[in-house]
Amino acid sequence: MWRATMAWMSTILIVDDDARFRAQATALLSADGFTVIGEADDGPSALAAAAALRPEYVLLDIGLAGVDGFAVAHALTADGEAPLVVLTSSRDARAFGRRLREVPSLGFLPKEQVSGAAIRALAADA
Amino acid sequence: MLPGWSYVACGFLLWAQRPANRLGPIMAGVGMLWLLGRAGQMSSVPVVWTAGIWLTDLWVTGLILFLLAFPTGRLRRGFDWVIVGMSLVVTVPLELLWLAFLDDGQGRNVVLVVVNDDAAHGVDRLQRILFTLGALLLVGSLARRWQRSTGPARRQTIPVLVGGFAILLQSVSWMVFSFGSASHVLDSSIRIALVAIPAAVLYVMAQARMARAGVADLVVELGQTPTPARLRDALANALGDPSLEVAYRADAGDTFVDSNGMAMELPALDSGRAVTMLERRGVPVAAIVHDAALLDDPGLMASVAGAVRLAVENDRLNAEVEAQLEEVRASRARIVEAGDRERRRVERDLHDGAQQRLVSLSLELRFARARLDEHADPALRQSLERAAGEAMAALAELRELALGIHPLVLTESGLSEAVESLADRSPVAVTVDVGDDRYPPDVEAAAYFVVSEALANVAKYARAASAAVRVRRDAGALVVEVSDDGVGGADARAGSGLRGLGDRVAVLDGTLEVVSPAGRGTTVTARIPIPSPSHVSVPAL
Repeated sequence: MWRATMAWMSTILIVDDDARFRAQATALLSADGFTVIGEADDGPSALAAAAALRPEYVLLDIGLAGVDGFAVAHALTADGEAPLVVLTSSRDARAFGRRLREVPSLGFLPKEQVSGAAIRALAADA
Repeated sequence: MLPGWSYVACGFLLWAQRPANRLGPIMAGVGMLWLLGRAGQMSSVPVVWTAGIWLTDLWVTGLILFLLAFPTGRLRRGFDWVIVGMSLVVTVPLELLWLAFLDDGQGRNVVLVVVNDDAAHGVDRLQRILFTLGALLLVGSLARRWQRSTGPARRQTIPVLVGGFAILLQSVSWMVFSFGSASHVLDSSIRIALVAIPAAVLYVMAQARMARAGVADLVVELGQTPTPARLRDALANALGDPSLEVAYRADAGDTFVDSNGMAMELPALDSGRAVTMLERRGVPVAAIVHDAALLDDPGLMASVAGAVRLAVENDRLNAEVEAQLEEVRASRARIVEAGDRERRRVERDLHDGAQQRLVSLSLELRFARARLDEHADPALRQSLERAAGEAMAALAELRELALGIHPLVLTESGLSEAVESLADRSPVAVTVDVGDDRYPPDVEAAAYFVVSEALANVAKYARAASAAVRVRRDAGALVVEVSDDGVGGADARAGSGLRGLGDRVAVLDGTLEVVSPAGRGTTVTARIPIPSPSHVSVPAL
């Protein structure tokens, strides 16, 4: 039963310094069949949570205070068993250009387009 | 007759040259007294003859006065008055006393009291002794003056010193004559010396005029931005006073410094040195310390002061304009920088505020729609979908606006990314050729806004099918070129957008050129110098 559930319930860690977005994303992704196994509001706690919880996906805001999302994405994907990183921002992709293309990730979603379906579509394309 | 006339002529010349100076009238008077004395002696009218004999030597007193008063026209010391007084006593009352005992043998002497050759001879001897004494004092006084003066004043003393010696010789000659052996050689050398005085005075005046000519050279010399040292040398040359110094007023207070910035004491009034102040709006800014003799030509120092004032004023105006220009440059750079800072702030505020809220709103609407079950009111479902669509559209517009205000991609990923992004958004097909090099932020920002504004103009006015952006480094500058194949005819001065770009590029000492022949497209070329690394300042984002 537990394993069967895991087969379609993907785990995800939500990293954003905006609590309201974390709450909304949690609600939306839970409704879309994701298991939100943790939240973090900055880079270091995101890395710690990822190491502890080993999520399948990380929804990562680019505009974190201090260490930004790009740096966190690089750190998250540095070792072998890396989670799949989906970057997000309330800015759109044009604001980031090359840095966005060069970061190791599944892809980028503007925040308003975050949904379980969109994340699965990115994973399917990858 | 020649000495008399030469004195009269020279006197009037001097008078005409320097009306305020008493020397002119004194010298003319000397000449006239000389002529009148000689003329009187030739008369057969007793009164005239008597007057001629009486006053025949008065001119010497005038000459002594002239020599002592040269060149200012005033006697400097009480001692000088003693010398003049002695001569006056000899030439007026004692001469009269002598006449009182003199028998001319023709009965022309109207002041004859009693004929007494011994008395006349005694008075005559007293006169000669007194006069010789006076002449010695005169030469002593003039020699002392010569010894104590320097530069132009010393040169000016030469003719009077010669004159003093001539008078001393005259008196010695009179003594010798009195004791019985007149010397013609001595007599004629005295004549020559006396005639030489007016010539020497004329020479000194010519020197003064040369000094004025020197001032004309000075004006030219000073026109070429004189350094303090050159200013001093030029002044010393023009005025023939090697001891001349220029003192500059220290910024604060009444102290003066020389051109090396060392404190400098202005000389006291009676020191033989004089100070000509250069004032600006009544406030002394500099002082020329020079030989007091230069003041004898009142026009001279005034014209020198004028020339220097002109130069100093020019210099000051230059410096002022330079400073103002520098200030304008700096303030323009500050304005651009403040503008950029403001743009970054507005973009961040949009992102942190309205953009976040619209994101939140969109998510909320989507969440609400997702929670509708299949039995829900279709109108409500549509309404929620429309609301979500509106929120998305608002968000898209806001992002467009934010991109226009401040291209985050420029600071995030550099110029080539930012230009690519501009090209993507342009309705005209744009080819982009920009290297991946990074440049100082202000250079990148200027280049970016050139491309942005130029592409906006292409879209608005050019009716072009395509455009090309080329950015390359060339000889220490970033060259940004945006060209299109449109209708041309753009005017850099007319469009405020292009002019604003020119200003923006000029802040970085760059240039903007617009070539836009009618019908043959437009090329906007900006050339922005890349400052050497030591000058790069990275503003906080």
